[in-house]
Amino acid sequence: MCDQTDDKTELIDALQTIPWFHELAPDHFNRLIELSCLQDLETGQELFREGDKEDCLFIVLEGRVAIEMRVPGRGKVRIYTAEPMDIVGWSSITPVVRQRTAGARAVLPSRVVCLNAQKLYNACEEDHDLGYVVFRRLANVVASRLLTTRLQLLDMFAHPAAKEG
Amino acid sequence: MTAYSPQQTAAISLVSPMLPFRAEILSVQPEAPLVSTYWMRFLDPELRTSYQFKPGQFNMLSIPGMGEAAISISSDSNDHQRVGHTVRFVGNVTNAISRLKAGDVIGVRGPFGTSWPLEDHHGKDIFIAAGGIGLPPLRPILYQVMAQRNNFGRVVVIYGARTPDDLQFTREYKAWEEAGIELIITVDRGDEKWTGLVGVVPLMFYRLRMDPRKSVVYTCGPEIMIRFVIFEALARRITPDQIYVSMERNMRCGLGLCGHCQLGPYFVCKDGPVFTYEQLQPYFNVEDL
Repeated sequence: MCDQTDDKTELIDALQTIPWFHELAPDHFNRLIELSCLQDLETGQELFREGDKEDCLFIVLEGRVAIEMRVPGRGKVRIYTAEPMDIVGWSSITPVVRQRTAGARAVLPSRVVCLNAQKLYNACEEDHDLGYVVFRRLANVVASRLLTTRLQLLDMFAHPAAKEG
Repeated sequence: MTAYSPQQTAAISLVSPMLPFRAEILSVQPEAPLVSTYWMRFLDPELRTSYQFKPGQFNMLSIPGMGEAAISISSDSNDHQRVGHTVRFVGNVTNAISRLKAGDVIGVRGPFGTSWPLEDHHGKDIFIAAGGIGLPPLRPILYQVMAQRNNFGRVVVIYGARTPDDLQFTREYKAWEEAGIELIITVDRGDEKWTGLVGVVPLMFYRLRMDPRKSVVYTCGPEIMIRFVIFEALARRITPDQIYVSMERNMRCGLGLCGHCQLGPYFVCKDGPVFTYEQLQPYFNVEDL
């Protein structure tokens, strides 16, 4: 959660490295600064756990964050890895906020931007121009995750039935 | 008396092209569960030195009484001491091959088919997208790239497997990277020990910046993966004639005679396995083709 005090200059510099933030009008950019903070993670450190309240949306700036689910009998299964500029926890700003459906853990030393989900949602509600940019980006994220999930579901590399002569 | 002339560079009898030549298995290298590389050399010393293949071609490997299977050649085309075939054990013949060991003899016919046109792509950026057992037919390219690295721009290998244990040729990754080949290795699902990427091969293109004017894509793997790799390449303005795919079909004769591997107007064994997407485009999304 964004309760830590940040050096705003560092935060602004960090946010300016995110390509789609360049689409934002200056006042929108400033609004996002107000609801963001930086968070550094050590290798192995959890960003959030399955079941946690969805209070933040994260953008990975450096490192690598694994999305993992605990499966009884199989332990933790890593289902996706987020790399720099990837968004993690996108469902936290969908209208029906539930709880985290997967955990996230840094597998390399990582730095993320944490955006307060409720404040971001409210900002998007109040200013639809900002909301359009944010939700268009999220639509891209959802589409690519959906394609990834479809291809994973197809189990492309499963051993096929014998077909040689 | 041998059935081929001293100048012959292939293990295909000119008298009886269905006749295999005998090769001795030198060693077996396990690569992943149900996947091993068989290093072999022809018993005939003349053929051993004259045999040549190009990256992307395949041989028909045979076991008497069991049959033949088309297997891509996964070794260095400049290595005349031995030939490598990486085999996944999925059927009668390949399961019989799985029981072979060093010193056993196997039948070899080939090489067959078209090859990756690496010589035509000097100065280009080469993007290789492979999945699962699709990496072995692409490995000979990497040997060539390493031998003549300055002839190419960026060389990027995206390789995906089902799990970390299914990744092949892992002991060679370091040498590839040291030779200036960029590696993006990903798995469909990782465990707690896996700190690498989890995701699917086509989506790894999101990480790349490609210059469509000087990029070519080579891809081999499950056909569904190839389809989405093509989508991603096209989305980055790579033209269909610069996307090369290696297709898998049920090859039998290797000579374009039996028709088992027909794909539209093509016989994969003779006109392929390496095609441009431009060639295959009309047939790629035709169901049951």
